[in-house]
Amino acid sequence: MTLIRLTRACAVLILCAGASTQALAHNPMCECKEIPGEQIQCTGGFSDGSGAPGVTLDVIGYDETILVPGKLGADSTLTFKKPSAEFYVLFDAGPGHVVEIDQADIQAQ
Amino acid sequence: MNKATTVQPPSPLRAFWHKWRFHINVLLLLVPLGFMPKYFADAALFRGDSGLGEREVGEVQVGPWSLTLAELRNEAPRPDPAGPMKSFNAALCKECVKQVKATYLRIGKPRSLRAAGVIFFGTPYRMGAALPVPERTSPDAELWITMEGWDGSMQQASIPLSQASPATVAWLTQQGVKP
Repeated sequence: MTLIRLTRACAVLILCAGASTQALAHNPMCECKEIPGEQIQCTGGFSDGSGAPGVTLDVIGYDETILVPGKLGADSTLTFKKPSAEFYVLFDAGPGHVVEIDQADIQAQ
Repeated sequence: MNKATTVQPPSPLRAFWHKWRFHINVLLLLVPLGFMPKYFADAALFRGDSGLGEREVGEVQVGPWSLTLAELRNEAPRPDPAGPMKSFNAALCKECVKQVKATYLRIGKPRSLRAAGVIFFGTPYRMGAALPVPERTSPDAELWITMEGWDGSMQQASIPLSQASPATVAWLTQQGVKP
């Protein structure tokens, strides 16, 4: 009995030691996909699992004009009509906390 | 009325445990000793006692300013929910500490200052940034450093990724370029 308890305690300690070395960063994440009706849906968030409601997400043309200025909704998503010009999506959670998605990287339906 | 009671002899394993349990537990104290070298190496790395990082890339001139760049660890990017991440450290030159407002790092030339990449955070003498490395990155890609001054000016420079992190290039080559 004691041996089993001891083994369990050791296992827990070793697991904790392993987990403590994990970085506690939260990097921005964004994913866009094409949905029916020539539309694109982007979902933003952070790598710690938190959502990003209200965070800026702009659709920018290759000539740097902002085609669709937007903010993510309460469900951390934004849906917009696919622009006719070449574009990229910029998830902007602040300086240095951005994710760029080129139109070529947006998966078709 | 004698009641015969039979006493089961304890199993040899149980007898051994009962006899030696305290001595065996003392051995547990030796377990942390095995982790000591890694602990002290990590402590020296994060304190800066063993330099800016595990592998120093060298000084990079960015317009009138310069910075010393280093890989935090001389290894391939680490997996992260946001994609593979490679950690870099940097120190600004002594003269530019007061002039530089922000330093960014990105694979490939930034489209704009807004999309200049990840920002270095921390003291100017030892800043850190975790750079996302897309799996489809070409091994001959360039690492771009963007510096923004308090006067509003922007300076950019690039170095080959193979110079910045040979371990990352080896990892990319091993993966093969994905479409």
